[in-house]
Amino acid sequence: MGYPLLWIAAAMAAGGVALLRLSWGRPKRSPTLNAAGWAALALAMIFGWSDSGAWGSSVTALVAMAAAGLALGLAGAQARPGKAPASNARVRMLPEGSEPRRLLGRSLTFLLVIVAGLFISIGLAVVVRGLAHAAGWGEANANAFALLMMPFLWAVLAYAILIQPRRKVQWAILLGSAAPVLLVLATGALR
Amino acid sequence: MTQAPSLSLVKRALSAHAAIGLLGGALLYLVCLTGTIVVFYEEFHRIEQQDAPEMAEVDPGAVQRAVEAVLASEAGQTPTTHLYVHIPVADLPRTTITTDTQAVHVDRDGTIAAPEENGWSEFLLALHYTLNLPVLIGITIVGILGVMILALALSGVVAHPRIFRDAFRLRTRSKGGVALADWHNRLSVWTLPFSVAVALTGSIIGLATVTGYGMAAHYYDGDIEALYAPIFGGEAEADPAPAGIPNVAAALRHMQTAYAAVEPTYVIVHDPGTAGQHIQIVAEHSRRLIFGEYYAFDAEGNFEGTAGMADGAIGQQAAASTYNLHFGNYGGLPVKIAYFLFGLALTAICATGTYIWLGKRRRRGLNEPRLLAAWDGVVWGVPIALTATFLARLAMGNGAPFTATFWLLGFAIVIANILLANRYRTRRPLQAAFLLAVIASVAIAL
Repeated sequence: MGYPLLWIAAAMAAGGVALLRLSWGRPKRSPTLNAAGWAALALAMIFGWSDSGAWGSSVTALVAMAAAGLALGLAGAQARPGKAPASNARVRMLPEGSEPRRLLGRSLTFLLVIVAGLFISIGLAVVVRGLAHAAGWGEANANAFALLMMPFLWAVLAYAILIQPRRKVQWAILLGSAAPVLLVLATGALR
Repeated sequence: MTQAPSLSLVKRALSAHAAIGLLGGALLYLVCLTGTIVVFYEEFHRIEQQDAPEMAEVDPGAVQRAVEAVLASEAGQTPTTHLYVHIPVADLPRTTITTDTQAVHVDRDGTIAAPEENGWSEFLLALHYTLNLPVLIGITIVGILGVMILALALSGVVAHPRIFRDAFRLRTRSKGGVALADWHNRLSVWTLPFSVAVALTGSIIGLATVTGYGMAAHYYDGDIEALYAPIFGGEAEADPAPAGIPNVAAALRHMQTAYAAVEPTYVIVHDPGTAGQHIQIVAEHSRRLIFGEYYAFDAEGNFEGTAGMADGAIGQQAAASTYNLHFGNYGGLPVKIAYFLFGLALTAICATGTYIWLGKRRRRGLNEPRLLAAWDGVVWGVPIALTATFLARLAMGNGAPFTATFWLLGFAIVIANILLANRYRTRRPLQAAFLLAVIASVAIAL
């Protein structure tokens, strides 16, 4: 059997999921089993990487997810009928009863998160690229890193804005994020 | 000290989660579903045109004859700017030449066999990449949807403080929305690495153009090619003066002797028939995430160097890895099947999210049959419309109007469902129609 390290990684990935299943299925949590499960998963990723870099880690992660899927399927098949009530928590996406529609407010939230978020994230990518290059990174690394970071930064920005209940705080987050962009664009710095 | 997020944060994260999910709604579902199906892009090629010549490998001399034949067939027309030769590989064992104006399959001996007919596969890919919109607009919207999935993953994790404790709790036989919520949450948790990987890579691919414009404007005087050149290599200077046919065979033979361990997948001839022409060979490296390495040759087939996708700067290797990591074509059929199943899970997560929201509203006394019918129409109408386009391909051939069929039928199903909402529950008939369409497709295709 070729590639023994990858097979060990796959076995540890499946074993790690099994240990977590065992631990989390107990009435009381077992710190030892928990640690063993997480350690097995971490070692699996390390072995996968040692075998064949990012490819090995990706394949190992697929094995872990497949193992979890199997465990989940078993849990679903063995589930008993229950009478626990489902949540009916409000998320305030639509007005209820005689509440105002707040169309203007909702549209403004959309504009802040999507339109302003897009432009600020592109601007942040410009800043990231400039900082990386100024720190001594080569052009390829700096350009690629900025392209890779842009969607990640936008997702974090969108989340940070949307969890704020007050509009003033949302504006503050947006302006705070835009400040380094405006500084770089206005001064032509980092070129 | 407690590590659990405060109740207020959980509530706000749940609101943010719902806001993003409902805003993206149908488009998120459509992109996830098409992405799941397009994993089998190469296999659909083979189903669409089953009589195309197939071969495990092709002789460099045959490729040379085919290139010469294709260029000769375009004599007198506007010269093609690029010519691509698809080299047979395990997933798609066909030799196919594509220019700016045509695509043809090639036989083992290098003769042109038949035009390529893969209209449905290309439609499916375009639907996933650009929603059938103009490229820049469409790919940017799809990139934004990728960002939304990332934000959904983040807010979803924060909104569920018992995310690990309940990780294997799947109450499939509970009623009143409990089972639905469990399916949504458990699938989300266990496919999180997959979801984040495909969303991040998809948003990188989708937003690279607009981000690239911004970066190029600041650092490269608006020259976007100069931005990408350090990563993927630059284009050589064009020289439109006429020249002979490039020696593709020599380049391929060099690969066979000097790089026997890698597998060529494409030959790209830039500006063929001009003095500025040059050759690139893309070759896959075994057990790597990168889509391949570019091997550069001059027009005579003399090796000039590589671009560095495989062993250059880490940024080059990372950028070259985004495509395979997104589309799941880095480990043959087992990885494709895994991507298909996890993709189905992500699609189900999108579908169940809105059902959970509607269920919560119903339990608070807000019965909204039209909203529910609209979402039923999306969840079942999209796969029905997609299957209808595939049936159209089988029945009408490569020229069937895929885009019109998909969007008109999809919208018609949603609207009809809304109109019927107060009289009938149409979910079961829609499910039955989808099942019948799939059975018919499989029966006809095989």
